Amino acid sequence: MSTRTPWLRPLVALCVGALFFVPLYLVLANTFKQSDEIPGHPTSPPWPPTLDNLEAVLTRPDHLFWVSLTNSVLITTVSVVVLTVLSAMLGHYLARSRSGWAKGITLALLTGLMIPAQVILIPVTDVLKAAHLMATVQGLVLFNVAYYVPFGVFVFMGFVRSIPIELEEAARVDGAGRLQIFWRVVFPLLRPASASVMIFLGVWIWNDFIDPLVILGPGRGTTVTTGIYRSIGQYQTDFGSLFALMFLATLPVLGFYLALQKHFIKGLTGGATKG
Amino acid sequence: MTPHTQTRRGSPAARVPQGPTTSTRPRERTAAPRRRIAALRSGLAHFAVFGAPGILIYAWLVLVPIALSVHYSLTNANPFNPPRRWVGLHNYRMLLHDEQFHTALRVTVVLTLIVVVVPNVAGLLIALLLDKRGRFYNAMRSVFFTPMILSSVVVSVIWTRLLDVDGPLNRALRELGVRHPPAWLSDPDLALYSVASVISWQMLGFCVVVYLAGLQSVPGELHEAAAIDGAGPVRRFRAVTWPLLAPAVTINTVVLLISAFKTYDHIKVITNGGPGAGTTATLAFDVLATGFDSNHIGYASAMAVVMLAIACLATAIALRILRAREIDL
Repeated sequence: MSTRTPWLRPLVALCVGALFFVPLYLVLANTFKQSDEIPGHPTSPPWPPTLDNLEAVLTRPDHLFWVSLTNSVLITTVSVVVLTVLSAMLGHYLARSRSGWAKGITLALLTGLMIPAQVILIPVTDVLKAAHLMATVQGLVLFNVAYYVPFGVFVFMGFVRSIPIELEEAARVDGAGRLQIFWRVVFPLLRPASASVMIFLGVWIWNDFIDPLVILGPGRGTTVTTGIYRSIGQYQTDFGSLFALMFLATLPVLGFYLALQKHFIKGLTGGATKG
Repeated sequence: MTPHTQTRRGSPAARVPQGPTTSTRPRERTAAPRRRIAALRSGLAHFAVFGAPGILIYAWLVLVPIALSVHYSLTNANPFNPPRRWVGLHNYRMLLHDEQFHTALRVTVVLTLIVVVVPNVAGLLIALLLDKRGRFYNAMRSVFFTPMILSSVVVSVIWTRLLDVDGPLNRALRELGVRHPPAWLSDPDLALYSVASVISWQMLGFCVVVYLAGLQSVPGELHEAAAIDGAGPVRRFRAVTWPLLAPAVTINTVVLLISAFKTYDHIKVITNGGPGAGTTATLAFDVLATGFDSNHIGYASAMAVVMLAIACLATAIALRILRAREIDL
């Protein structure tokens, strides 16, 4: 087929891709369309385009978008940075340790990869309440760190094993302490693993819905995802603003993705191929 | 970074190697326990700095809550009905006869099956279609991956509009001559399949990318050798490509299994468990609804414990079966 009709494969790919893209087109088109046109012509192209919807969202009197954005940026950045450092150290410790109880800890951590967050959310609220961390950004960050540390450890452990231990031994002979060895020798070598961990956790935590909804609570605490969820009711008739809010909430993570696409794919496919 | 490196000077770890060089034979007997203590202290310091922070926070906010879940599940805990009493296995016995729980179990199994199978199969077909080098194919890969980076809330809102009774999909169907297009989200017999399709749409890109990487790792010589032996494209796929794709199948299946089993966001936003009596209420949805909305903490915890057991068991079984298929080149 490919030798006689070379145009067939790209054509089919394009058609399947276009069909697949329709829902995303809907957001783009309706973000730049007059709000009253959306119910009647949801699929028509936004011509002439308007910035009214974006402006309406950005200038809301309750600053919903800006508050959500600030919270999401803060929660995601702090969680990801802490998680990367913490799980790199723990992953390195466990990968290099030969003791039996390190294996037990590894097993306990890797089990965490399978635990659905909903299973532990009810008691988590009690634990956080006891520490006066319920309905705070700090509480959510701590929970993110605890919940995602297994994923970080899993990625880093695999990667540490591919680094020759001789490098660390050489540094030890030269008189470097353990922390020095870690920061000066190991951590720089872990950069590809750090990139995957930061990318994945960044996207997951940014898009997280149920954890901020429960832990930040119904008060002022809102992230971009819970912000969208709460405005579904408010924007019952104003679809333009709803689509604009979703467009703006997606923009940072989309930019992040497009800028780091190569690392995304590499991090994702690291385990898909052997060797 | 700097404060850490400074604190290491003169640490127990740095002192250890100095021991043997200064000791003479008769002294060694008394020095040995001291050295062992020094080594132990150094090991503890190592653990305290590298291991403990991660493990402690994991224990505090994941392991303790699991233990609490088990504990709550054996009580009638309810914040609005204070004296918390020990009820033994009562909650678990209730689950056995709870129609709503059985529905949630069935909904979760059906949804998980669809979300494991559909993106896997469709993802493999699309990956085979895109398995060529070049800018065009790279761009197409990005198109398919984009929904993966969107929030499930955003995806759910988009599809709620799209699948509305008078939404774009049904308008298109009416123009094509379908007089009564289905009510995708408000028909109790259909809603679950609609939601499963939405999740499949979102997860598809993940499978495409993983399968593409798998396909591109298959050595070209194997295909050539098979072609010389007279194998057609279908035979080559079955004999060469498919066995070597086993690791990609494992990853896709396990990731889809884990994420489909805990489906919550899409249900909460698209159908809120309805229409009708929990026709789309998954286990995850039911656990939180029973716990936070109805405040039956004890009962919800029993559901959570059962859910956790199923999740771990299903993943372990799937991993065992899929790993056995993998071969080394």
